[in-house]
Amino acid sequence: MTNPTTNRMTSGMARIWWAQIRAVIRLEMKKTFFARRGLWIYLVAALPVFLFMAYAMATSGRQHQSASLARRGEKPLSYQDLLAVKPGMTREEVVAILGRPPVNFHWTENRTKEANEVIHVMHESYHYSDGQNDLFVGLADGKVESINIHEGYNPGQDSIMFAGVFQFFFLRLAVFFGCLGIFMNLFRGEILDRSLHFYFLAPIRREVLMVGKFLAGLLATCTIFVTSELLQTVAFLWHFSPSTREVYLYHNHGLEHAAVYVGVTVLACVGYGAFFLVAGMLFRNPILPAAAILIWEAINPFLPGILKQISVIYYLKSLCPVEIPSPPGTPPLLALLISNSDPVSAPVAVVGIVIVALIALYASSVQVRRMEINYTTE
Amino acid sequence: MNFPANALGNDRIVFEDVSKFYGEILGVNRVNLSIPPGITSLVGPNGSGKTTLMNLMTGLVRPTRGRIEVLGYQTNDPEHLFAILGYSTQFDAFPKGLTGFQFLYSYLRVSGRNPHTAEQMAWRAIERVNLVEASQRNIAGYSKGMRQRIRLAQALAHDPKVLVLDEPLNGLDPLARSEMIALFRAAATQGCYVIISSHILHEVDVISDQVILLSNGYVVAEGQIATVRGEIQEHPTQILIRCTRPRELAAKMLEDEHTIEVTIHKDEKGLLLKTRDADGFYLALNRMALNGIDIESIAPADDDVLSVYEYLIGNEEVVR
Repeated sequence: MTNPTTNRMTSGMARIWWAQIRAVIRLEMKKTFFARRGLWIYLVAALPVFLFMAYAMATSGRQHQSASLARRGEKPLSYQDLLAVKPGMTREEVVAILGRPPVNFHWTENRTKEANEVIHVMHESYHYSDGQNDLFVGLADGKVESINIHEGYNPGQDSIMFAGVFQFFFLRLAVFFGCLGIFMNLFRGEILDRSLHFYFLAPIRREVLMVGKFLAGLLATCTIFVTSELLQTVAFLWHFSPSTREVYLYHNHGLEHAAVYVGVTVLACVGYGAFFLVAGMLFRNPILPAAAILIWEAINPFLPGILKQISVIYYLKSLCPVEIPSPPGTPPLLALLISNSDPVSAPVAVVGIVIVALIALYASSVQVRRMEINYTTE
Repeated sequence: MNFPANALGNDRIVFEDVSKFYGEILGVNRVNLSIPPGITSLVGPNGSGKTTLMNLMTGLVRPTRGRIEVLGYQTNDPEHLFAILGYSTQFDAFPKGLTGFQFLYSYLRVSGRNPHTAEQMAWRAIERVNLVEASQRNIAGYSKGMRQRIRLAQALAHDPKVLVLDEPLNGLDPLARSEMIALFRAAATQGCYVIISSHILHEVDVISDQVILLSNGYVVAEGQIATVRGEIQEHPTQILIRCTRPRELAAKMLEDEHTIEVTIHKDEKGLLLKTRDADGFYLALNRMALNGIDIESIAPADDDVLSVYEYLIGNEEVVR
């Protein structure tokens, strides 16, 4: 049976702790968001957005060309029409299927045959488009000699590129170093500024202070990187036509993927944040633990099963919604790095990352209780 | 002094065989203290262990050995310890970009006070240290004296029972010093424990109820200044006597076997006497007074902190 007096005391303490946590968060948020030394984090978070914006600008130029070509064609074409052209067809057969080409080039080649006999070969190049995909047909003496289809940009293909940028730049570098910059400084930065004793002189449990700081860091990193992730999605979809966007978002899991990416970003902040919080307490120089964690995360695919689990990227990879295929001819080691050879289910991944974060936070709570401030030497 | 474990009282600040080493460097060694209410000054040269003792008392550093309790609270329990203790450090602890008021308000909010109470307490503390006009200015622009006062306000803001003040009068002008001394005195009168470290011995002399003398990490002496002086046997007690016939009195005093030296004052209206037995001297003086010598005043001449400090530690780094 629980004692009502004990219950009242516990809930009273919890209220005070929560009030203290909120006070710490308020103070930390000011420092984290407006610190001059944290400006680079915004830049790192914005880099993939700039990348997708640049990509959108570059591709929209080509898309305009294709659309213009399709409009200038004799008749509207579909992708199937473009695929219907085969080598060996005559010029007339091609024109029958696709109409007269809106763009064509021709030139004559002088070929030298045996006995120095010169023959004239008539070359033609026809350029068609269905508005998205372009077809280049090469004819020699009126017969199809070569066919090239430049497939246009579609969200399905581009989502693999998005997944690659997300996994290999955003998660492993941007979020990683952003969390390093913010969480490492929560305690270490204050020690360097000689301001940590502001908190240590207050009647607040060190663990409560640690939780407050962690949540402040989490709020800051999630705000920065989730905003970045959402802007990346917008930039990624910007150059598609509204109908293509709608099909991708509502019928091809696009919206679902975007939500999962946001979730993975948040979990990455939780996992890396917890790691860097404890590292910031244990190490004076952030470069060493950062390098160690970076290497540990990078070699994760090559580690034995049990060691893989003491990592953040192991779980995050399993949660990413789009599998990145290894291009043909990729060396096996690189292929192992790209692919997720040992995926875990989503619930296991979420629980795994939470457990890893809790272990790191427990280590932080032990360390924060041990922390000393020596004014004469710090 | 050795305190058995069960003697750790709830109404004292107690150090029980406390040592602190920073690696191989000694901070303090084998410290046993039981500090009562009132103003207690920590006196000692630089590196003697004053700040270490204060940091140990406030849990900012942990003892390598021994045990510390502040009114029954363990120093590794900041949640409860700092509810009754305020610490004004020598070093600034100001989060960037805050005004004086915001600094105190944030401190009180972190302490768990609700916004209304925190605001009231912050203003009260600002008023106590006379910083109302500068309270809305950014602390980064404060003068040394203002920063000292806002640190004092932080220590005082939550009305603690124990005030630990590391060099609290540094950087203050004479008026502010006397205001602060009055503040400490008022707190001590109300039963607070005011622990002060200072280099300025004449101020220590004026404000202290008891002193703790430190040298090279060891407590050399502790207690009321007069008591400490009385325990220093190797230095004779000096007594200043104002009287009508100093030469006659000097001659009689030299008959006493404990009298070591008598010096007649320049104005021929008094004498300075050195004796190894102050109590015996006072009894002898009573007898002489009855023999017709008018004695205007008798005052010990070396039971101040300065003398005690010089006898026990030497005169290194003394600020008179």
